[in-house]
Amino acid sequence: MRAWEIFWTIWLVISTAAFALITVVVTVKGFGDVRRMLRGISAGGSDEKP
Amino acid sequence: MNFAVIDWVIVIAYLAGSLVIGILAKKFVGNLSHFLVAGRELGLHVGIATLAATEIGTITFMYFAELGYKAGFAAFCTAMISGIVMIIVGRTGFIVSRFRELKLMTVPEYFEVKYSQGLRIVTGILVAVGGILNMGVFLKIEGQFLTIVSGIDSKYLVAVMTAILILELVYTVLGGMVSVVITDFLQYVLLSVATILVTIYAVNTAGWENITNKVTSVMGAGGWSPLENPRFGWTFLVWQVLLWFAMSSCWQTTAMRMFSTNSPTTAKRVMTWTGVIFLGRGMLPMLWGICALVILGTGPVGSDGSPTPMLNGQPIEPIEAMPAMISQLLGPGVRGIVVAGMLAATMSVNSSYLLGWSSVLSQDVILPIRSKMGKGDLSSKAQILINRVANVGVSLFVMFWGLYYPLAGSTYLYLTITGTIFLSGAFVSVVGGLYWARANVTGGYAAMLAGAAGAIIPFFFLGWDANITGFCAFGLAAAGLVLGSLLGKPSPPALSRATP
Repeated sequence: MRAWEIFWTIWLVISTAAFALITVVVTVKGFGDVRRMLRGISAGGSDEKP
Repeated sequence: MNFAVIDWVIVIAYLAGSLVIGILAKKFVGNLSHFLVAGRELGLHVGIATLAATEIGTITFMYFAELGYKAGFAAFCTAMISGIVMIIVGRTGFIVSRFRELKLMTVPEYFEVKYSQGLRIVTGILVAVGGILNMGVFLKIEGQFLTIVSGIDSKYLVAVMTAILILELVYTVLGGMVSVVITDFLQYVLLSVATILVTIYAVNTAGWENITNKVTSVMGAGGWSPLENPRFGWTFLVWQVLLWFAMSSCWQTTAMRMFSTNSPTTAKRVMTWTGVIFLGRGMLPMLWGICALVILGTGPVGSDGSPTPMLNGQPIEPIEAMPAMISQLLGPGVRGIVVAGMLAATMSVNSSYLLGWSSVLSQDVILPIRSKMGKGDLSSKAQILINRVANVGVSLFVMFWGLYYPLAGSTYLYLTITGTIFLSGAFVSVVGGLYWARANVTGGYAAMLAGAAGAIIPFFFLGWDANITGFCAFGLAAAGLVLGSLLGKPSPPALSRATP
């Protein structure tokens, strides 16, 4: 049981840290993505990128 | 009412902001591709946000918290499986990469590419039925959360949930995927902040040592090991792995995000990073459920083996324990942010699911049936109108089913079984179609029908355990595909590529 406690505690820490970090990165860089998306839709160009 | 003025200001500002932004996005909708897949212009970061927001709702927090309350840390296995499977799908591009290359807009559309228009219609019907039944319980569960945390009188539940549904419907119907993606992005930020806040408050109040001791004293080894927990075991774990491969690749709302990305490479990266988020998506609300067990789990042991949660001396349902705990923990301002975050979670899921199932109804059932009846093609504008009408229709069903269907047992299991109705057959048929040259139309029909029967009959009519039902559905679907394909005539692809 102790092994499971350690296992889940480690994964909980990893998942919480990853959740928080990805939120920060996505928040900061996501605004740029939204602008590019709207520009791309307005331009009505090819929807395939390399 | 638990709400202070500041809480109302935060919530109303969020709701108004979402509506305005969602409506403004309408001007970017020029054709069907914009409406359904945002013109396939989704970049990595907004792709991650919209995929995560689509699959993280108040319903998610509620059912995971309930699972955590009843099964302790052993429940974490479901979160790990979902995250790891998504990362594998993302890294390998299993199904998702090929789907994106084909420029699809719906999952059943693939069935016309590989198999036949008739199978597309059958699959479309099963996808729509399973998906709408699945979504049908969201409103009630979400409403329970809202009334408990905010303290609104439950007699206003129907009105409150109807108002929220109408708000989502407005911007989804008007702006389609463009509105949904932009609002999803903002909702993702807000719900993530709320998630972290609740976690800090809950763990700080319950105390880590109390948490581990309570799980051990109430559940023993079963609270830690999924192999020793009677709810789980090997059959459950294997079924969950199959289910998550199927959900990552063939769940319409997830797949629509893949279809909307600007390239197959972006689709893979979005799936991979969202898989990492999914670890926390499951574990954190389960942890809240465990904290609720510590703080409120003081009543007599119920029929499911877990202590009845008690609030102000009154027993409540295990699914209500987490929101009841939150209502006790949070002060003014923070409560407003958390409720706004949960509303954000609700709206992101509901808007995406409304768009997902209505697009299947319109693109894979109504329009192909029209085509089979010999009617001519419709303009993009007309197709968008049909999508919008289907959207309203789905909303009306969800409103009535959600508020009146008596959900028994674990919410998580109801949701996974209704999903399995079409996922079992769809996943098997897609895998066969992409990776087995021998798969043909007969096999596809057999897979879809056997998978659906394998989920519906055992669970709804024979009362079988959900684990066995899930296993049975996938097994029957696979057997149907193989036997049907071997016995049926070889069939060339119906279309060389999807409709652009």
